[in-house]
Amino acid sequence: MRYVKHLILYFFVALILIWSLLPLYWIVLSSFSHPVDLYSVPPHWIPTRVTLENFKSILITGKGFRGGGGITATDLIRKGLYNSLIVAGTTTLIMAFIAPLTGYVFARLNFPGKGILFFYIIGMIAVPSWPVLIGLFSEFSKYKLLDTLRGLIILSVAYRMPFDTWFMKAYISSIPRELEDAARIDGCSRLGVIYRIVIPTSLPGLVAVLITSFLFSWNMFLAPLILTYTLKAKPITVTISEFVGQYYAEWHLMSAGALIAIIPPILIVLVFQRYIIKGLMVGAFK
Amino acid sequence: MGGAQIQTCLPLCLSTNRRLKKIMYIGKKIRKIVNSEAGFAYLVLIPIVVLIFFMAYLPAIQSFRLSLMYYNVKLPWKTRFVGLSNYVEILKDSGFWQAFWRSCYFVVISVSLILSIAMGFALTLNQDFKGRSAVRVLIMLPWAIPPVVNGFIWKWFLNGDYGFLNGLLYQLGIISKYRPWLADPFSALNWAIMTFVWRFTPFVTILLLGALQSIPPEIYDAAKVDGAGIKSRFFYITLPLIRPTLVIAMIVIMIYSFTVFDEIYTLTGLDPATKTLMMYDYELTFEKGRFGLGSALAYLIGIFMFVMAYFYIKTIYREVEH
Repeated sequence: MRYVKHLILYFFVALILIWSLLPLYWIVLSSFSHPVDLYSVPPHWIPTRVTLENFKSILITGKGFRGGGGITATDLIRKGLYNSLIVAGTTTLIMAFIAPLTGYVFARLNFPGKGILFFYIIGMIAVPSWPVLIGLFSEFSKYKLLDTLRGLIILSVAYRMPFDTWFMKAYISSIPRELEDAARIDGCSRLGVIYRIVIPTSLPGLVAVLITSFLFSWNMFLAPLILTYTLKAKPITVTISEFVGQYYAEWHLMSAGALIAIIPPILIVLVFQRYIIKGLMVGAFK
Repeated sequence: MGGAQIQTCLPLCLSTNRRLKKIMYIGKKIRKIVNSEAGFAYLVLIPIVVLIFFMAYLPAIQSFRLSLMYYNVKLPWKTRFVGLSNYVEILKDSGFWQAFWRSCYFVVISVSLILSIAMGFALTLNQDFKGRSAVRVLIMLPWAIPPVVNGFIWKWFLNGDYGFLNGLLYQLGIISKYRPWLADPFSALNWAIMTFVWRFTPFVTILLLGALQSIPPEIYDAAKVDGAGIKSRFFYITLPLIRPTLVIAMIVIMIYSFTVFDEIYTLTGLDPATKTLMMYDYELTFEKGRFGLGSALAYLIGIFMFVMAYFYIKTIYREVEH
């Protein structure tokens, strides 16, 4: 009986894994396969020869790309990667600085208007992003933020505010405050308390916040699609979508491009797994 | 050159001793503000309040203003105030209603599929088995990848000439000929939903898993002693206890599935078969340049979203208080 139970359990686990990984396996398979293996009916499920030719084509030679306007495939991928790294990296750094501050302010301090200010920040979630985006378009063009990395960074920082503040507030509230009080009595300044005591003790929460911030700004698509129009600022999500349109039937090359775009988020999940799952469970919101 | 500068600077500094004192006085005052609770809080929050105002509240107001105007980017000289007639025009438009019902279908199917699949996943992952932590991490991967790439992955997965699904079904002998899965309108819409379901299930799984783990095992033991079977344990203990999380998960899925854009954009683009409200509005605003009309529709979408978000926040507050 016990044996059967185990068998059923492992069967379900296998099902879960197949469901989650099959589409990803397809992309990996396509990007490492030789076109001959890939474009047969049915395809070779395990490539007969593993090739890096597809990556070479999109990153170095740009072979097979039919996009117009003097923009090469390698430009689209490289520039897109660069822009995404800048936007996501800077957003994450800024949040690393701000999130503990706002979390601390709402978790520990008492001041007039606290409730209203908290609601003002959290209320952003209820402001639907779609009408905002239409308004932002004209605002961005007025302040010369259209098609700049600066604009995208400001935007993604602003949109991380409610969740990161909420999360850090909850996390800091759950830590006993005796240590902070003791440090204050010993003459430590408020900033000193935050950077010497609050941040080290709430580090797991902060890491979870930073990872979700990075993923959020890396995965942003609709906002940059509307707010950027040259390679000066287009992130990888936007360049990949153009890429897909302009390689026509070269699925092995498009797959290689897609794989490049999903490697950073996947690496982050694999490296920081512990924090993400814990963070999501504690926070219960994205 | 540096030395010369210091030399000319020195007497200047001495003569402005008073100024220096003033600066020090201000410095002291700033330190005092920073060290007071309210002062520190405002110092941190004021820049953020300003940022959020310009990035969220002000554009929301602006697009509301736009929604009351005839404003076509391609015909800027025709811009004029028209009151609510944009809203009337949309509500009379049959394209809007088709997109609306398509969106509703999208939401209903997404919610039921994701909740049931995630429930199954969470119940399985809550058991003890070898490699459980690794499996938990691996199922998170679909959640982490950019939605727009997710759309591409499925487009290729479902491809009619060389796609994975065709290959697999052909290999297994289920179909004798490759099929274009995205050609039929109804099937295209269902596959678009599937794409979203695949990405969103991990998040909900983790939510439900967290809820399952917070149930004390003693309750199950007691129920077992009383002779409750697996089924009744699930329906009379598990479900009621995780109900709050289920409600939150449901609302989150509703909000996100109602506004799916990225996946559809790469999967089928502006294909009428998958034109949900978001796609419809994108086409109206940024393809046809009708910003006024687009803003009005955005506000209608916004009202739906607001109602859902309102219930979301209210539920969370209530659950937190418990």
